[in-house]
Amino acid sequence: MLRGVSDDVTQALGAEQQRFEAALKEVGDADALYELQVQYIGKKGSVSKLRGQMGKLAPEERKAFGMAFNEVKKAIEAALEERKEAILGAAREADLGRVEDLTMVDTLSAVGSIHPITRTRRELSRVFRKLGFDVVDGPHVEHELYNFDKLNIPADHPARDMQDTFFVDGQSTKNDSNLVLRTHTSPVQIRTMLGREPPIRIVAMGTVFRKDDDATHSPMFHQIEGLCIDKGVTMADLKATLYRFVSAFFGSDLKVRLRPSFFPFVEPGAEFDMECPFCPTNEAGEKLPSCSVCKGSCWIELGGAGMVHPKVLQACDVDPQEYTGWAFGFGIDRMATLLHGVPDLRLLFDGDVRFLEQFPC
Amino acid sequence: MLISRQWIESLLAPAPGGARLDDDAFADAITSLGLEVECVTRYGEGLRDVVVAEVKGIEPHPGADKLRLVDVFDGERTIKVVCGAANVPDPGGKIAFARLGAVLPGGFEIGAREIRGVPSEGMICAEEELGIGPDSDGIMILPTDWTPGTPLPEAVPGIEDTVFELGITPNRPDALGHVGVAADLAVKLRRAFVAPSDTLAEVPTDEGLVSLDAPQRCGRYIGRSFEGASVGPSPLWLRVRLHRLALRPINNVVDITNYVLMLWGQPMHAFDRARLAEGRVVVRLAKAGERMTALDDAKLELVAEDLVIADAKQPQALAGVMGGKDSGVEPGATTLLIENAWFQPGFVRSSARRHQLSTDSSYRFERCVDFGARLQGAAATAERLLTELAGATVTGGVDVGGTVPVPPNIVLRAQRVEALLGMRIPDDEITRVLTGLEVALEPSGEGTWSCTPPTHRPDLDCEEDLIEELVRHYGLDRLPSTPSVPSEPPGLRVDPGQREADEQASLEDAVLDAMRAQNLHEVLSFAFTDPSDLEPFGVPADRTVTVTNPLRIQTSTMRTHMMPGLLRAASLNLARHARAVRLCEVGRIYDWPESRPQTSGPTAEVDAKLPREQRRAVFLICGGARQAESYAGSDVATIAASVLGRLGARVQLRPADAASAWLHPGVQARLDVDGSPVGEVGEVHPDLMRQFEFPEGIRAYYGELWLDGLQGGHVARHQTLPRFPSTSRDLSLEIPIRTAASSVVDALVTAEGNAEHTADGPRLSQGDTAGGAIEIVEDYRGKGVPEGHRALLLRLHYRAPERSVTDDEVQALHAAVVEAAVAELKTAAASIRVR
Ligand SMILES: [Zn+2]
Repeated sequence: MLRGVSDDVTQALGAEQQRFEAALKEVGDADALYELQVQYIGKKGSVSKLRGQMGKLAPEERKAFGMAFNEVKKAIEAALEERKEAILGAAREADLGRVEDLTMVDTLSAVGSIHPITRTRRELSRVFRKLGFDVVDGPHVEHELYNFDKLNIPADHPARDMQDTFFVDGQSTKNDSNLVLRTHTSPVQIRTMLGREPPIRIVAMGTVFRKDDDATHSPMFHQIEGLCIDKGVTMADLKATLYRFVSAFFGSDLKVRLRPSFFPFVEPGAEFDMECPFCPTNEAGEKLPSCSVCKGSCWIELGGAGMVHPKVLQACDVDPQEYTGWAFGFGIDRMATLLHGVPDLRLLFDGDVRFLEQFPC
Repeated sequence: MLISRQWIESLLAPAPGGARLDDDAFADAITSLGLEVECVTRYGEGLRDVVVAEVKGIEPHPGADKLRLVDVFDGERTIKVVCGAANVPDPGGKIAFARLGAVLPGGFEIGAREIRGVPSEGMICAEEELGIGPDSDGIMILPTDWTPGTPLPEAVPGIEDTVFELGITPNRPDALGHVGVAADLAVKLRRAFVAPSDTLAEVPTDEGLVSLDAPQRCGRYIGRSFEGASVGPSPLWLRVRLHRLALRPINNVVDITNYVLMLWGQPMHAFDRARLAEGRVVVRLAKAGERMTALDDAKLELVAEDLVIADAKQPQALAGVMGGKDSGVEPGATTLLIENAWFQPGFVRSSARRHQLSTDSSYRFERCVDFGARLQGAAATAERLLTELAGATVTGGVDVGGTVPVPPNIVLRAQRVEALLGMRIPDDEITRVLTGLEVALEPSGEGTWSCTPPTHRPDLDCEEDLIEELVRHYGLDRLPSTPSVPSEPPGLRVDPGQREADEQASLEDAVLDAMRAQNLHEVLSFAFTDPSDLEPFGVPADRTVTVTNPLRIQTSTMRTHMMPGLLRAASLNLARHARAVRLCEVGRIYDWPESRPQTSGPTAEVDAKLPREQRRAVFLICGGARQAESYAGSDVATIAASVLGRLGARVQLRPADAASAWLHPGVQARLDVDGSPVGEVGEVHPDLMRQFEFPEGIRAYYGELWLDGLQGGHVARHQTLPRFPSTSRDLSLEIPIRTAASSVVDALVTAEGNAEHTADGPRLSQGDTAGGAIEIVEDYRGKGVPEGHRALLLRLHYRAPERSVTDDEVQALHAAVVEAAVAELKTAAASIRVR
């Protein structure tokens, strides 16, 4: 009787192993494999259950059955493991067969852009901050007091004709509001001098407006002006600063020259030119006269400059005998078109994405 | 301002050593004085082969009625030419003859030709063909005493000339004539200035000729009367000179006034004295409403501020601006009254502007021409020429004076010159330059001078003005490039307002970079726009800022919103191509605020008069006309969240309190950061899409951020990461379609905040499986949900910070939260229920 129990159990173990091996052949994926594992060697699996029969065996038979049981279980585990590897390998092969054509991706639409004028403004900020200047701005709608009067441009003086001005109606009065769209960033100089004690080193940058519209003039454009007020500031310092600026901005050693000119808020006044950084050179490094930017003159006219007029200093409560100062200004739009080779100002304000996307950085 | 090289040379002594500068070097010298040469034109090259010739005989052309065969003697031989002009003079008359090989203006070279079967070896020329005058009516008839064979440029020197176009800045009225330019150049080139030597003839004073009734407006009036004048064409030299300077020859008297204008830069006027009532003039203010017809036929209605030159009865000229038609000099005039005067600049300017007349005369008077020696010199040159060219005799004159500016006395210090320029100019150079410029100079100590500028330099008013004169002539190109030593290191001090300005700038930079990272392209639109573009935004007229004198309607109103700019750009893009459009912009909007905060500081008083300017960052996306790509409102919401995230701000999308009329009523939301609105997003209203001419079927999505309410420079604080897993509970709510999901979420959050909690128990908390504490899993509309409603499936995540939670305690909290929230939601929409 006892012997019979032992035989039955051993036989059952063998039968389960055979059943398992048959079932394993049918398994095709990891989920089914896991099910099979649970079914045979899980906690309540059919093979695991047989181990519970061990208690019914005679003590001397237990050892032999225990060894047989472990052998079967190991064999099943090994077979499961082997099959798992095979399934994973097949899945990997199948996965590696996948194709996605990344060369079809529309890369153009994935890039935004910063406007060339903004880019130029940022670059100017960077360079002037490095040279020790604060960057400031002010209101676009200005009072004539700051846009003209305090800049030594009195009413009824032809100097006002140098800039075609947009006037602005007052809140309640249509005429005589004395408001304008600022024609230059110079009122920011006035605001700064009124609000700060010298020494002053600022650049004012921003949008300005003039009643002018053709291929080379836009009614709205951008300007930068520098102002330095301190004891012992000279025109030679102005020239040195302009030289340091253009060299830092264009990244090469560029000469600056001054030519006498007139701006009501400076005396002496000058226009300043810089050596053309765009001239093509020959193999020996000599400039060729074929440059389309400077038309072979090797100079580019940039803007105006000069020593701050004593009347302007006085209008801002700065004593011209104690302090001297210089100022300069030029157009940012022109700088941007020069840098990026934009042929027509109007392109800057159209908003055509085919133009804008050319400036992704 | 056009300047003749030849004329300038006639006012300068020969250069030391006699070397002649070429035209380019000459132009450089002028430019170096601040008189910028904008254009150089050479005339008369190629006209050396045009000579004076004599008509020897005339025969009819055998083959053409209108042509004739003319025998001309060119000083060497007699040549037969075919000529079509009707005014060929009789034999003995002199004409201008272009020999074979002559090159006429426009590059037309004279060659031997056959005209209707008759050979013609040369051409008899008209003024216009030679480019020396406007006359194309027949050939030029030359004086009979000219010698055949003389090259025409020798007979009339002005033919070969170089003309410089100068841009004269408003501070240099003295340079608006050849005398002024030559005098300045003389100092630069170290050549002596040779002033015209004309003087006024001694004549009896005629007090009755001029009455100066407005001496405060007219500083000087030289009136001279002439008799026996013969008005006719000017001689060729004068016609050529004026033509070279782009002035049209009219008659000798008018031409003389123009010649004097160009020589001295001093405007003058000639009256036909016979047409002046009582033959005299009165310088007086106009009576309001008085009328006058100007020389150019403009009918003027004068105001009491206008200064006029009247006769005994009525105005005959608007002083300094334009003469009257009734007293102009025309052929037949024999008696003249010639005016050389000085009028107060500001008033000439106002009169010219008031009557919209800008003339060569007003241009110069506005800039303040000389009332001294040059005014008198101009009168003298005019007098000589009227005598020589018009046969006139001066019979009387008067020189009356009113108020004129007093030239200032300026102390000039060599030490100040160096302090301002950073360059020393030697004392002898200082005296040479200033003396050359006719500044009266008195040494008043070591390196100090007391200076009085000449009356023709009203711009010289202070020491710095004289320093500019010195540096102009000494050479700005000699200025060294020497940095000054700052009195304190730059950047040592943070000035008031600078920190704020820097923060604003970096905020704008950050926003722009974030928008670019969302594949948006930055545009710049004009700050002004067409008022009709702003209509949909409903800003009352008294709040908008208006340009008084716009270029056109499109530049007449300062934008109150940024959207029209982007719509214009997007619409333009769609008209040009079929690609998707993604645009952004950072800019300002303008309005008159209902009230404004009190400010203080040095500019507060002015600032209170200015409109409000607010900063906006905006973006707009729309699919292209032929592109499958199409966007939804959620895209702009995501962009807004991402851009604000770049500033360290966590955005919440909420239904607007009042819907924005420019956005689709069903597709818009407000952007909140920390409970305050900072912008809005949504679909552009279909009416605006039509107004801005978008193609049919295109939708655009828009967002804007109100930068003034945003803070940059956010410093994030660390929070401990959760250590225990979260547990979730689902909630399905049936709500009206127009009830915003955010209202449901907000009600749940509020209810959870008000619910009872144990100290270490579960709280609504960011889940392990979702971004937020309350996740919206599904938004279902259709079968099983009543009309006008949707079923929102929400998943609420709970966890306790310090321990695991039990199902029971989560369930209890969840039930309480749902019950309170639904009760709250039902007060706004009764149909809300839990499914
Ligand atoms: Zn170049």
